[in-house]
Amino acid sequence: MASLIAGVAEPPSSFAGLTTALAVLMLVIEFGMLQATLLRAQIRLYAAQSVVISVLAVVVAFARDVPELYGLAAFSVLLKVVAVPLVMFRLLRRTNQEIAGSRALGVASMVLLAVAVAAFGFFASARFQLGSPVLPAAALAVPVAVILVSFVLMIVRRDVASQAIGFFALENGVSLASLVVAAGLPLILEVAFLFDLLVAVVVFGVLIRVHHEQSESLSTEALTELRG
Amino acid sequence: MPAVLLALTVLPLLGVVLSLLPGRWIAPAVSVTIGVACLGLTLTLVPAAAHGPVVLGFLRADAISVVFELGTAFLYATAAVYSVGYLRGEHERADFSRYSGLFWVGLNLFAWSMLCAPLMNGLALLWIAVEITTVVSALLVALDGTRGSAEAAWKYVLIASAGLGIALLATIVMDYAGASVLGPSFDLAFTPLLHAGTALPHPAVQLAFVLAVVGFGTKVGLFPVHTWLPDAHSEAPTPVSAMLSGALLAVSFYAVLRYYQIAATTLGSGFPRGVLLVFGMLSLLLAALYLVEQGNLKRLLAYSSVEHMGILAIGVSFGAPIAFTGVLLHVLAHAAAKSNAFFGAGVLVRAYGTKEIGRIRGGLDRLPWTAPLFLCAILALSAMPPFGLFRSEFQIVAGGLASARYVPAAAMVALVTLAFLGLSMATTRMLFVPRPGGPGAATAPRGEPSAWMVAPMVVGVLALLVLGLHPPDALAALIARGAAELGGAL
Amino acid sequence: MEEVWGGRRALHELACHAVVPAMTLAIPVVQALQVLTVLVVAPGINGVIARVETRLQGRRGSRVLQPYYDIAKLFGKEALAPFGTGWVFLAAPLVAMTCYLTVPLLIPVLTTFPLPFGYMGDILGGGFILALASFVIAIAAASTGSPYAQLGASRAKTFSAITEPVVLFVVFTVALVTGTDLPYALAKTVRASADQIVRPAHLLAAAALFMVILFETGRIPVETHTGTNEFGMIEEARSFEHSGPYLALLRWGSTMKQLILFVILINVFIAPWGLASDASLLAVALAILALVGKCALLGVGIAVIDDSFAKLRLFKITEFVSAAFMLAVLSVFTLYFGGG
Repeated sequence: MASLIAGVAEPPSSFAGLTTALAVLMLVIEFGMLQATLLRAQIRLYAAQSVVISVLAVVVAFARDVPELYGLAAFSVLLKVVAVPLVMFRLLRRTNQEIAGSRALGVASMVLLAVAVAAFGFFASARFQLGSPVLPAAALAVPVAVILVSFVLMIVRRDVASQAIGFFALENGVSLASLVVAAGLPLILEVAFLFDLLVAVVVFGVLIRVHHEQSESLSTEALTELRG
Repeated sequence: MPAVLLALTVLPLLGVVLSLLPGRWIAPAVSVTIGVACLGLTLTLVPAAAHGPVVLGFLRADAISVVFELGTAFLYATAAVYSVGYLRGEHERADFSRYSGLFWVGLNLFAWSMLCAPLMNGLALLWIAVEITTVVSALLVALDGTRGSAEAAWKYVLIASAGLGIALLATIVMDYAGASVLGPSFDLAFTPLLHAGTALPHPAVQLAFVLAVVGFGTKVGLFPVHTWLPDAHSEAPTPVSAMLSGALLAVSFYAVLRYYQIAATTLGSGFPRGVLLVFGMLSLLLAALYLVEQGNLKRLLAYSSVEHMGILAIGVSFGAPIAFTGVLLHVLAHAAAKSNAFFGAGVLVRAYGTKEIGRIRGGLDRLPWTAPLFLCAILALSAMPPFGLFRSEFQIVAGGLASARYVPAAAMVALVTLAFLGLSMATTRMLFVPRPGGPGAATAPRGEPSAWMVAPMVVGVLALLVLGLHPPDALAALIARGAAELGGAL
Repeated sequence: MEEVWGGRRALHELACHAVVPAMTLAIPVVQALQVLTVLVVAPGINGVIARVETRLQGRRGSRVLQPYYDIAKLFGKEALAPFGTGWVFLAAPLVAMTCYLTVPLLIPVLTTFPLPFGYMGDILGGGFILALASFVIAIAAASTGSPYAQLGASRAKTFSAITEPVVLFVVFTVALVTGTDLPYALAKTVRASADQIVRPAHLLAAAALFMVILFETGRIPVETHTGTNEFGMIEEARSFEHSGPYLALLRWGSTMKQLILFVILINVFIAPWGLASDASLLAVALAILALVGKCALLGVGIAVIDDSFAKLRLFKITEFVSAAFMLAVLSVFTLYFGGG
C-alpha cells in the first residue's frame, strides 16, 4: 500500500487547487475568445473572464484575510462585468456589426500557436521563480500565458472590436498577475488602475467609432495606408 | 518651493477647465499664459533641485525629473503659442469651433499628464500618468478626422496600450520585489527602492527591468515596438506632433530611466546597460536606414525621433558620468530641436499643401523666416555645432570612449552620420532646389502664414544656441547632479 | 519504470489480501462478472439515453429495453456481404467484439482492488485495444466500396488524429499525478482525498476526456446518434454494409465501447465510489447496481447535452476536438509547472 502511494504527486491544498483552477479557467476562457466568431460572444466571454477574476479576488480575500480585495472585487465587477461590456455592446449596436473579422490563421493552427505561446509563458515564468505570498506557483504561470495568448488574439484578429477586446483581456491577465504576486498592492493604486482602464475603454470606443465612420466597417483591412 | 510642484500639477488642469468656456479667444489666451507660466515655474525649480529633491506629498522632483519637466514645459509653452497661428489656418473647416475647442482642451490635458509624470513619486503613479498621456494623445492624433488620422490613432492606442500593459506588469513585479523586502505596506516609492539596493530579489528586478524597457519602450519608440510612432507623428496636428516627439517620448524614456536606476543599484550596471545598448543600437540602425529614403516630411522627422531615442538609450548604456550628462542635455536639446523642426515642417506643409518631400521645392524663396529656422533645426538635429545636440552627442560619444565601449561608440557615430545624410538630402531638396517653373509657380506668394508660428521657432533656436554654446550655470549644476543620481549617488 | 513495477507489486499484494473474508466469490468469478456486466448492461444504457432524450423532447419514446430487442432481431436475420468483400469484412465485427470484451478486464468496473488481469495493460494498453477495434471496423468499411461507409471510416480516422493525442495527454496527466498509469492506481488516488478531484489538472483532464468520449460515442455536438442523414454521419455510417448477426455484433460492440468509456470516466476520473472493496457477494452485487446507476446518470447528462446543443458543421468538429486537445495540454502544463 505504502509503495503505491509513494509515487503519487501530493494534491495541492483546497485553496491552492481552487485558485489555480479559477486561474486556469481564465486561460480557458481566453482560448474561447480566440475561437469565438461573433463579436457578441467575445464580449460575453470577456465578461465571464472578468467574473472569474472577481471571484478569485473574493476567494483570496476570504482565505488570506486581505479585506481590501473585497473592495477591489466589487470595483472590478462594476467595471469589467457591467461597464465595459455595456460600452462594447452599445458600440456594436451603433456600428451594426455582428461577425468578427476573419482570422489571419485557421482555427487549428491558431490553437496550436496559442498553446505553444502559452507553453512558452509557462516555461518563462518558471525560470524566474517568483514565489507568491498568497497564491500557488502555478497560478503565476497562468497570467503570463493569458497575456501572451491575448497578444495572439490581438495579432490574428482582423477587426478593431476584437483587438480592443484582446487588449481588455490582456488587462485581465495583468490583474491576475497583480493578484498573484502583489495582492497587497495598496487599494488606491488598484482602483486607479481600474479607473485608468475605464478611460482606456472610452477612448477605444471613441476611436472605434471614428474608424467606423471613416471606413464603414470594423475590419482592419482599411488600415494599410500608412507605411514606410 | 514645494508649492511650485503643486502649481505645476494644478495649473494645466485649470487651463483645461478654462478652455471649456465659450469665447474664441479665451482658450488660446489661457493656454499660452499657463504654458508660459509652467515654463517659468519649472525654471524656478532648477536651482532648488540641483541641491536636492523637492518633495510634497506624493510629488517629488529630483534633478532627473526636473530635466524632463523642463523639456516638457518648454514644449507646452512653445506649442501653445504655435497653435494660435496653426489654428488660424484651420478656419475653413466646417466644424472649426468644435475642432478648436477640442484641440485646446486636449492640448492642455496632454500637457498636464506629461507635466505630472516626472513629478510622481512612485512607479505606480508614474505608470498611471504615462497611461493618461497615451489616451489623451491618441484622441489628439485622431482629431483631424481623416482616414489617415483614424488609422494612426488606432494603431497608436492599441500598440501603446498593449505596451503599457506590459509596463504595468513590470510595475507589479517591481512591487513584488519591493514588498518582499520592505513589507506589505510598500507603495512603490522610488527612494526606498533605491535604498533597498542589492537586497531586492534579483530575478524579479531583472524581469521588471526587461518588461519596463519593452513596455515603456513602446512609447519611447524603441525598435521593434516603434511601429506606431511614424504614423502618429505624421497624422497628428503639427503642434501635437511636436509635443509627441519632443516631450512624450522623453517622458516615457524618463520611466525607463527610473527602472534603470533601480536595476543598476540592485543588479549592478552590466545587465541593464546591455539591454539598453541592444535596443538603442537597433533603433538607431533602423531609423538611420529609414531616414535615407523617406518621402514624407513628417515621417522623416518621426524617424529622426526614433534615432534620437536610440541615442539616449545608447548614452545610458555607456554609463560613464559624462555620458549621463550628455543624455540629460540631449533630452533638453532634442526637445528644442525637434519641436522646432516640426514647427517648421508645419509651416512648410501649410504653405505647400502637402507632406510629400518631392513636392516641396524652393522653400528659401518662399518662406523668408521659416526656411532658415527650419534649416537650423535640421542642422541641430544632425548634431552640428554650435547647437545643443552637438555638445550632448559629443559628451555621449566621449562617455563611450571613456568606458571603453569603442565599437558601439564608433557604430553610433557612423549611424548618426548616415542619418545626417538622409536629413540633409531631404532638407536641401526642399529648401534650395528651386521650384520648377510653370503656370502657378510665379503666383505663389512670398511670406509667412503667421507670426505666431515663427516666434516659437526663434525661441527654439535661441535655446539651442544657449545649450550649445554655454549652458547657464544653474542648468549645468542641475544636469551634473542628475548625472550623479543616474550614476548611483543618491 | 521502477515505480510502475513497484505499483504493480503493491497491487498484487492488495489483491491477495482481499481474498480473505468469508462469503466471497472467487476472484476469477469477479473478473468474469466485470466483463459480463459490461456485456449485459451496455445496450441498456443506450436505451436509457434514448428514452430520456425523447422524453425531454416531449415524445413518449421507446422502451429502455428496446436495444436488446433490436439486437435479438438482428441475430435472427440473414447476413449478407457486398460483392467483392473478403474475410476482413466478416472478421471485423468479431475482432471488435473481442476487443471490447478484453478491455473490461483492465479497468476497475466493479472492484477497488485490482483483479489479476488488471496488470495485463495500463490505460494506454486499453486505449490501444479500443483503437484496434475501431481500426478493424474502419478497414471493413473501407473494403466495401460503399461511399457512405468509406466516408464514415475516413472521417472517423481524420478526427482521431487529434483525439488520440488528447488521450495521450490525459494519460500523461494521470501518470504525473500517480507515478503510474494503471487505472486502478488513479482511482485509488482520487478516492484518497477530495483535493485530488478539485485539483485543476485533474478537472482539465477529465473535461478533455469527456469531450473525447462525446466524439467517440458519436453524440451531439459531433453527430446525431440516431439520425438518418448520411452526410452528417461519422461513427454510424461505418456499419452501413453489415447486416444480420454481424450488424448485431457491431451495434452491441458500439454500446459496449460507450459503456467502457463511461466506466473509465466515472470509475477512474470523476466518481470512483461505490465499488466493491472485497469480493463478497453483497459488495459485488451492490457495485453492479451502483455502476448501472452511475452510468445511467451520466447517460442522462449526455441526453441533456444531446437535446440542448446543435450538431456542429463537419469542419467545426476540428475546433471541438482541438478544444479538447488544448484542455489536455493545459492540464499537463499546470501539473508540470506548479503542482496544479
